[in-house]
Amino acid sequence: MPSVPIVEAKLYPLKRYGLAIVFVSSALLVTLSLHYYFLDRLWFLFFAAVMASAWYGGKGPGWLAVILSSVAVEYFFIPPARTWILKPVDVPFFLTFAACAIFASWLSSRRRQAEDSLKHARDTLEAKVEERTAELTRRNEELLLQIAERKHAEGSLLATQAELARVARVAIIGELTASIAHEVNQPLAGIVANSDACLAWLSKPQPNLDEAKKAASSMILAATRASEVIARIRSLITKATPERLKLNINEVIEEAVALARTETMNNNVSLVTELASDLPVVLGDRIQLQQVILNLAMNGIAAMSSTNGRPRRLLIRSQTQDADRVLVAVQDSGTGMSPDVMARLFEPFFTTKSQGIGMGLPISRSIIEGHGGRLWAESTVSQGSTFQFTLPTEACDVS
Amino acid sequence: MKEADPIVFVVDDDPLIRDGLRSLIKSVGLHVETFGSSREFMQRKPPDAPGCLVLDVRLPGLSGLDLQRELNESNIRIPIIFMTGHGDIPMSVRAMKNGALEFLTKPIRGQDLLDAIQQAIAHDRAARRERAKMADLRTRFDLLTLREREVLDLIVAGLLNKQIAGELNIGEVTIKTHRAHIMQKTQAESLAHLVRMNEELKSNDRR
Repeated sequence: MPSVPIVEAKLYPLKRYGLAIVFVSSALLVTLSLHYYFLDRLWFLFFAAVMASAWYGGKGPGWLAVILSSVAVEYFFIPPARTWILKPVDVPFFLTFAACAIFASWLSSRRRQAEDSLKHARDTLEAKVEERTAELTRRNEELLLQIAERKHAEGSLLATQAELARVARVAIIGELTASIAHEVNQPLAGIVANSDACLAWLSKPQPNLDEAKKAASSMILAATRASEVIARIRSLITKATPERLKLNINEVIEEAVALARTETMNNNVSLVTELASDLPVVLGDRIQLQQVILNLAMNGIAAMSSTNGRPRRLLIRSQTQDADRVLVAVQDSGTGMSPDVMARLFEPFFTTKSQGIGMGLPISRSIIEGHGGRLWAESTVSQGSTFQFTLPTEACDVS
Repeated sequence: MKEADPIVFVVDDDPLIRDGLRSLIKSVGLHVETFGSSREFMQRKPPDAPGCLVLDVRLPGLSGLDLQRELNESNIRIPIIFMTGHGDIPMSVRAMKNGALEFLTKPIRGQDLLDAIQQAIAHDRAARRERAKMADLRTRFDLLTLREREVLDLIVAGLLNKQIAGELNIGEVTIKTHRAHIMQKTQAESLAHLVRMNEELKSNDRR
C-alpha cells in the first residue's frame, strides 16, 4: 500500500511547487552571483535544489525542479550563454545533467517517502495501541458489568429458592392441615349425627332405648376413631427423634447466619455477631437449632422492614449463663411489640405477618424446650425486640 | 289415589355417619335406605315414591357431584341434599346450579338435616304430582284424532264454529260433533278449562 507522506499531504500543492521554484531560483541566483569565481562548473547547486524540492515537496515538485534546473542550465550556462541554442556537442553534457537531476530527485523523493511511511507507521502504531487499550478497557468494563449482573442474578436466584422453600413449606402444612381436618372431622360428624339420633329416640313419647343405645355405641366408636387419628399424627411427628450431638453453638450460629445472608442484604440489614469464644459444648440437634436461630433472625429482619431513620441492625450474641447454660440472643432494632402481641407470641397460628402461618415461634419454643432449654422474648416499643434462648451445657445435660 | 310413603336415601362412605343418619332419620318415622357408594345407589331401582337423596360430596369412585350429573343425564329426578366436610364455594355453586336443594357442612346439626329432608320431600311430592298431572293430561289429549287436533288448535285460537268450518272447508255441524268429542275425550268442563289444559301441556312440552 503506497502510504501518503504526511508532510506532503499537509503542505498545499501550490506551496510545494512554489518551494521547488524558490529552491531552483536560489540555486540559479547563487550560481549566477558566484559565476565569476567558479565559471561554468557550479551545477551541483541545482542538484541540491532538486533534492531539496523532492524532499520537502515530493515527487511533483521534484520533477518541476528538474525541469526548471535543466532549463536554467541550458539558458544561462550552456554556451552560448543566455540563449536557447543547444549545440550538438553539448547535448551529451545536458542529458547527463538532466539524468543526474532526475536521479537525485527520484532518490530524494524515495528516501522521503520511506521516511514518511516509517513515521506514519510509528504514528499509526501509537494510535493502534491507544485504540487497543481503549478496547481492552471497554471489554474490562463490560466484563465487570457482566460479573455484577451474574452476582445479582445469583442473589435473586437464592432469594427465589428461599421463597420457593417457604412456599413449599406452607403448601405442605396446608395440605397436612386439610388432611388432618378431614380425618378428624369425619368422626366428629359421626358423633354429631349419632348424638342427634340418640336424643331423638330418647325424646319420643315412648323412648326407644334400643335405638338410643345403638346410637350411643356409635358415638363411642366415632370418638375412639377421632382420638386414634390424633394419636397417629402425634406418632408421626415424634417418630423423627431429634439427634443429640456435641455442638459448638457458635458454629451453628455461623451456619444460620450464612443462610440468612441473602435476606439481610435484600432488606438492608447489617447482621452483627458477638460470639463468646470459650463457650462450653452443648448437646443438641444441629439442624433443629439452626432452624430456631434462622427463624428468630428472619423474624428480626421482618420486624425491621418498616424501620427507617434508624440503622437496621440484627445482633446475634452468644454467652455463658449461670456456668451451666449457654445463652443465644437475637436482637433487632425494629418496631418492637405491644404487650398484646407479646402475650400471644407463642400461640400457634398467631401471626403479625401478612403471609405468616404463625407456627415459627411455637415450633422454635418446642424445639428449645425439647433440648431442655428456655426461649423467651423481651421488647421495647419503637426500639426493637430481643429473642433469646438458653441451652444446658453438656455437663449439665448428663446430670 | 293413595301416595306411597316417602323414602330417604343416604349415600356416605363412612359407616358411622351412615348409621347415625339412618337412626336419626328413622327416629322421625321416615323410611331410610343407606349406601356406601354412588354405584351401590345406582343399582337400586328408583322407587315409585316421593323422597330425597342425602349425598356426601367426597365419595370413593364416583363422587357425589358426578352422581348428581349421572342422575340428571338419566332423567332421574330426585331432590339432592349435599353434605361435605370442607365445603368450598365453587363446589357448592356447581352443585346448586345443577339443581341441588341444600348444601350442608359436616358435622351437620340433626335438626338442619331433618328440616332439609322434609322440605325436599315436600318438593318432590309437588313435583311428582305435577308430573302425574301432566302425564294424565297427555294421555287424554293423545286420544284426539288428527282432525280433532286441527279443530282444537282453531278453538283455542278463539275462532267460532262458523269460522272453523270455513277455515277447514267442512260443514258447521261436523265441527260441532268434533267439538263435542274433544270436550269428552279431554274431560274438559268448559271451553276455558280446555284452553287452560292445552296451555299447560304446551308450556310443559317447551320446558
